[in-house]
Amino acid sequence: MTKENGPMAEGPASNGYLKVGNGKYALDLRKVNVHYGSTHAIKDVSMRIRENAATAFIGPSGCGKSTLLRCLNRMNDEIVGCKTTGTIMFKGTNILSNKVDPVALRHTVGMVFQKPNPFPTSIYKNITFGPKVHGIRGKDELDEIVERTLKDSALWEEVKDRLDDPAMSLSGGQQQRLCIARALAVEPDIILMDEPCSALDPIATSKIEDLITELKERYTVVIVTHNMQQAARVSDFTGFMFLGRLVEFGRTTPLFEKPRKTLTEKYITGRFG
Amino acid sequence: MTEKFIEELDRLQADTFEMGQLAVGMLADSVKALKTQDIDLAQSVLEKKTDLAEMDLEIEKRALQLLTLYQPMATDMRKLATILKTITYLARIGRYGKDIANITIELGDQSHISKLVSIPLMSKMVGSMIEDSLEAFEEGDITKLADLGERDDEVDAMRYTILRECITYMMEDPKNISRCANYIMIARYLERCADHSCKIAEKVTYMVTGEHVEIR
Repeated sequence: MTKENGPMAEGPASNGYLKVGNGKYALDLRKVNVHYGSTHAIKDVSMRIRENAATAFIGPSGCGKSTLLRCLNRMNDEIVGCKTTGTIMFKGTNILSNKVDPVALRHTVGMVFQKPNPFPTSIYKNITFGPKVHGIRGKDELDEIVERTLKDSALWEEVKDRLDDPAMSLSGGQQQRLCIARALAVEPDIILMDEPCSALDPIATSKIEDLITELKERYTVVIVTHNMQQAARVSDFTGFMFLGRLVEFGRTTPLFEKPRKTLTEKYITGRFG
Repeated sequence: MTEKFIEELDRLQADTFEMGQLAVGMLADSVKALKTQDIDLAQSVLEKKTDLAEMDLEIEKRALQLLTLYQPMATDMRKLATILKTITYLARIGRYGKDIANITIELGDQSHISKLVSIPLMSKMVGSMIEDSLEAFEEGDITKLADLGERDDEVDAMRYTILRECITYMMEDPKNISRCANYIMIARYLERCADHSCKIAEKVTYMVTGEHVEIR
């Protein structure tokens, strides 16, 4: 299945690079195709995404990286005229199957968006919203979830004394970390991030990047970014996409140091894109 | 990456090559001055030391600036990394030329013990190794580097020959010790320059192929 030089190949596993994740795969994509009406946005993408590792998708605008990310928790279902085919195996189930409830899927595959989008309510209620939907009502349990997720998202120290303040009173970077905490509150296995730092300043960006590095110890993180340096800093695996195809996929360091495909080389050295 | 970056990277590569020509020239002139006991030529080698140091610093500054401003990837990153390492090796080669020039000035008009054939021959071998490494760097073509390891072995053997020759002269007459000690030092400097050419070749190979290799 994995061809030596195909886009699915991850590159050398023991060639001086540290072993990443737990060696298992969280997601297995086979021949995934996405059409928006007559537009063929994703073309035959096959890849396996490592558990407890950070995987980045890079590529020029319109290459399909966000579309591919949204396939992973069926967010494309919300787009009229969008049709996804192929299989995406997650915990033994094809999540593209009609039998899978996309809402239930999104509990285990959480998402953080480009712009921070906290609910217009308190910091506390932003986090407890999801768990309450799941039937958790006990104050102690909800308090524990709030503290744990805010600590996990490196926000606890900054907001622990003002949990009832409006979420909108937080800075952009804090709002984004709150959104990450909100995603963590429903205990997902996978966190998808669609350009999570593009609306943030360098300090807030650096905090989110540090957070991604910590989160991948316990979660599988998949991130779309326009910033190649960011992909190089935070991810263990990187996929380069172009015109809907996965051109190259492999371990991040060799991909940025010595890409196997000329197209990747041209893109990451800025010769096009 | 912007055109400005690509232009500046090309300029840096050209300037590194030029620095290489300066370093190789210093080494060759120093040995020529030694052979012909030309103090003026030796003096001119010493004067070039400042130019070499300035080029080293200037190229390093510009390379670091490019790294900071553009954070290049893949071939661009490999080329910059190669430039940063290569200028250090070139600075060392030029400084060995300066050291040989100093010995030449110190020896003054004292005649050589023999016709002094081995050291100029060794210098020629080393000079061609450095030039081939520099050409490979400039052209991005590593075919000329294939036999560099063997050529380095020959240089090592030549150094050993000079050492044995000098030991013989020293045993024959203790008055030769001072001059022979200098010849041994010079042979050692040349041998180190050959090693530096191999290090440059290793970096050039990395620049071109992305593979880390070891040449001797």
